[in-house]
Amino acid sequence: MSLAWFARRLLLMVYTVIVVSMLVFAITQVLPADAAQSLLGENATPEMLAALRAKLGLGAPAWQQYLRWAGHVFTGDFGISMRTSQPVGPEMLSALSRSLLLAASSILVTLVVAVPLGVVAALRQGRLADTGVSLIAYLGVSLPEFVTATLLALLLADTLHWLPATGYVSPLEHFGDGISHLALPVLTISVILIAHVMRMMRSETLDVLKSDYIRAARLKGLPERSVLFRHALRNALLPVVTIIGLDVGYLLGGIIVIEEIFAIPGIGRALMVAIAARDLPSIQAGALIMAATYAVTNTLADMAYAVLDPRIRYD
Amino acid sequence: MIPALAVKNYTLDYATAAGPVRVLHDISLQIGPGEVLGLVGESGSGKSSLAWALMRHLPDNAREIAGSLHLGDIDLQRLSPRELTRIRGRRLGMVFQDPSTSLNPTLTIGRQVTETLIQHRGIKQREADVLAVDLLSHVELRDPAAIMRRYPHEISGGEKQRVIIATAFGCRPDIILFDEPTTALDVITGARILELFARLREETGVAALYISHDLALVTRVADRVAVLKHGRLVEQAPAAEIFRAPRHADTQALVQAVPRPERRLIHDKSSDEVLLAASDIEVHYGRATLLGHAPPPATKRIGLDVRAGEILGLVGESGSGKSSVARALTGLAHFSGKVRFDNREITDARDMNAAYRRDVQIIFQHPDSSLNPRQKVSEILSRPLKLYGGNTAEIPRLLEQVRLPTSFADRWPHQLSGGQKQRVAIARAFAARPKLVICDEITAPLDVSVQAQIIELLLALRAATGTAFLFITHDLNLIRQIAHRIAVMRRGEMVDLLPAEDFDAEHVHPYTRELMAASPVPVG
Amino acid sequence: MIELFVRLIRRPQGLVGVTLLALIAVACLFGQALAPYAPEKIDFLGRFRPPGWQNWLGADQFGRDILSRLMVGARSTVPMALIATFVGSAAGAIIGVGSAYLGGRTDEAIMRTNDAVMAIPGLLLALLLVSTLGNGAGNAVIAIAVAFAPGMARVTRSVALNVRNQDYVKAAIARGEGAAWIIFREMLPNVMAPIVIESTIRVSFAVMLFATLSFLGVGAQPPASEWGLMVADARQYMYQAPWGLIVPAAAIALTAIAFNLLGDGLRDALNPKDER
Repeated sequence: MSLAWFARRLLLMVYTVIVVSMLVFAITQVLPADAAQSLLGENATPEMLAALRAKLGLGAPAWQQYLRWAGHVFTGDFGISMRTSQPVGPEMLSALSRSLLLAASSILVTLVVAVPLGVVAALRQGRLADTGVSLIAYLGVSLPEFVTATLLALLLADTLHWLPATGYVSPLEHFGDGISHLALPVLTISVILIAHVMRMMRSETLDVLKSDYIRAARLKGLPERSVLFRHALRNALLPVVTIIGLDVGYLLGGIIVIEEIFAIPGIGRALMVAIAARDLPSIQAGALIMAATYAVTNTLADMAYAVLDPRIRYD
Repeated sequence: MIPALAVKNYTLDYATAAGPVRVLHDISLQIGPGEVLGLVGESGSGKSSLAWALMRHLPDNAREIAGSLHLGDIDLQRLSPRELTRIRGRRLGMVFQDPSTSLNPTLTIGRQVTETLIQHRGIKQREADVLAVDLLSHVELRDPAAIMRRYPHEISGGEKQRVIIATAFGCRPDIILFDEPTTALDVITGARILELFARLREETGVAALYISHDLALVTRVADRVAVLKHGRLVEQAPAAEIFRAPRHADTQALVQAVPRPERRLIHDKSSDEVLLAASDIEVHYGRATLLGHAPPPATKRIGLDVRAGEILGLVGESGSGKSSVARALTGLAHFSGKVRFDNREITDARDMNAAYRRDVQIIFQHPDSSLNPRQKVSEILSRPLKLYGGNTAEIPRLLEQVRLPTSFADRWPHQLSGGQKQRVAIARAFAARPKLVICDEITAPLDVSVQAQIIELLLALRAATGTAFLFITHDLNLIRQIAHRIAVMRRGEMVDLLPAEDFDAEHVHPYTRELMAASPVPVG
Repeated sequence: MIELFVRLIRRPQGLVGVTLLALIAVACLFGQALAPYAPEKIDFLGRFRPPGWQNWLGADQFGRDILSRLMVGARSTVPMALIATFVGSAAGAIIGVGSAYLGGRTDEAIMRTNDAVMAIPGLLLALLLVSTLGNGAGNAVIAIAVAFAPGMARVTRSVALNVRNQDYVKAAIARGEGAAWIIFREMLPNVMAPIVIESTIRVSFAVMLFATLSFLGVGAQPPASEWGLMVADARQYMYQAPWGLIVPAAAIALTAIAFNLLGDGLRDALNPKDER
């Protein structure tokens, strides 16, 4: 593994962000025949339309508009919100921090639950524990986030009153309260991730257990404990790094729904509010920041995998 | 004296959906202390099942019907799992077929050698490290301390097998099972491993069960040889005798099928007329990508000519570039250089017209991948006929030509055995009535008896059609039986191109000599 | 086809998947005729009536029969997901096969860009598109199709590259077959099976994504009885009438499971090695 590989991987990440920014810009500002009209709606006066067109630079060719916007974004200037008249950047980034807390907690919960369950299912292949785990996994991936969220809220908040149904309290200010408010959203996202990671973990473990080197380790007379923990588990765990990196994509999509349902002021909710209010700079900033977050985590996951797996030598 | 290993009246079944299948019938054999018994059989003969039974690593559907397995005075079938871990590796070692998959890819070599020593010899990590370095240097690995820190992918296949052998010998077991330890290695590397085995055996006096499909090889390493066929032990004899005087008909057939260079299978001379002349062939795989450089050429300015009706052998180890030559000549790889065929000059795959495509046919190594799984045999055979102006009514004749029943036309490829698939591929090549057929390691994945039948078929087809062959193989003994001339390649370069009868002479390239020395010629 | 079907339902997962899908198909085709009530029929006496002999699966806040709404709503949920998946898969397959066929730098450029597009989460991409194109079921279908294409392109390309490297394709090239024969007769039959399996499994994602868009208010619009919309409506009253929530949620989940099972079943049934 070489520095050149890392450099290329970073380059790829930059390319990804550039493509994403073009796409986001194209969908939001170039695709509509008259962005100003579609932003202001039917009741706009000609003066208002003209003012907005000038503000967005809609008269210029699309690529000039893009370069102008991209140039501002590059310097950290995402524009002024049309809804709140505040700079978009800081608002979105503070929303992102709350979303990241939600995402990181969900991944943590997922790993703690899914990895042992997947391994147990593989070791008990074909028996009751395996069948049970597989059925739950099937159910988990077949329920949309909004259904899981609603059902869990119905059960844990409205019926049992164990947890608050909606709202957000920063765990930095009120730790206990913050955690209890995070619990339902984290649980909801984790259900889907757990189902996915568990399935992967199970099939990875089965593959590794079938491999020649595990057989060789057993036939060398190593006790089952070292075969499992030293030889099998490590190799089965490696791909999970990549899977988590890819699952961040699902996670970010899911976060939009979850934050909307549980009224968490994260980037997903900010985006939904912006879409409802047709707040163009906020939509663009929110979408770009989300996709960039995915590109960065995915790159980090790839790099972590490259560091952890000695087989991989990129040159 | 108690034998090191004793198998008595052992019978084994596998339970399948279609009822039990017997894989071992009433097997009895013994290995004395310090003795090496060779166990020979083709694929499906049950030789690996016996090894797994001895290691107590049978699949869940295995049913032990009768008999006993003893290691010294230990009854292997009665061992508890805990006792088993004290026997495996400690008293009963094993060396595996494919060293590249038998080592854990994410643990260092040192870790994998020392964990066994710590487990079985009750020593501390520091002592184990010292002992491991000693063991690795004893299997002729250079700089063992550095090897200890490496991961499996950082050393070669031969080095990996040495590491596994060092581990197996490290706990001083009573007996070691060798399961085709050189099959996955190149010829010369494999020969060195055998030399190592002979030396270690002399030094340690360990007993061994050496399992192989290769009768010639086994007679060189074993004291006695047992021949297994369809789960039955058909013959046991001293190694020196089994070739000279095979008693059982199955053994005789096996001995017959072993290629011997001195037993020539063709007796005619090829014509002097040059059919195909290739010069300065360099094969290039892949071009530079957005983020990488183009790899170096797989062959370096190779020149060869094939004469009408000739069998030209092309020999080399894996990665020597021999298959690249085949791909260049069939337009499957980008190449530079010139090919002259039928008075036409070809410098690029685009120059290969329909006539050339018809006249030069190729048969591939892997029968599983060379037939489209979604086409029936009749459709597979009808394509060259349609393309080159034949008649699909010829399909039965084509099948008969390769000695397959005409009813096979309605079969899917997955309903055929490996040898049968290869026959269909041969029929497809001959449907075009070619002047040259390129055979790219076509017998490598087949058993020797099937290989002998395929070779016999190819020679009969040549006698009937006068087709020339470019026969690519790693098996020097086989090619010396059938080729008029033999070319030897190493690392993309051609080191020799000689008439087959000159191969005993002194003037072959040192590499060719090394290859000849490494190719096991039967004892007796 | 019949042979394939028999192989499919011989395994329990295939049988369950096919049975569920048959029920869903009946609901899509004849839901309107079979439904016990008109889906819009308001019955103020029957508000929040729990499941019973009058309303088998209960009634909602307007006393509308949930079973009837569910059966009629099947038509505005499942076919939408099928169309979106079909369009998205077809577009993705063309990009993937094309990229694999072109090879070299072009292939690399296409796939890198494709990967970059995949960095936008599917739901986000769909949301952006719908917010630009305007709310509605039709636009949601377009958005889902666009969001699916890059993933299918990636799968198709890897399958096509794998098939491209098989010896039977090399044999066809070596004997001088034309590009059309190689692509349509040698490669396509071997590429199709994995694409069909992958698309089938993706229908379940499309069902969920479409329901999610409707739930967020940008997909199907009221008074349609689309299932995601039914969940959204019932959420306000979930304490009084949890059946209003659970029934359409279960319908979505069962549909997703059915397509998942069918995909897994097809994977086994389409494997010619089982034909012995």
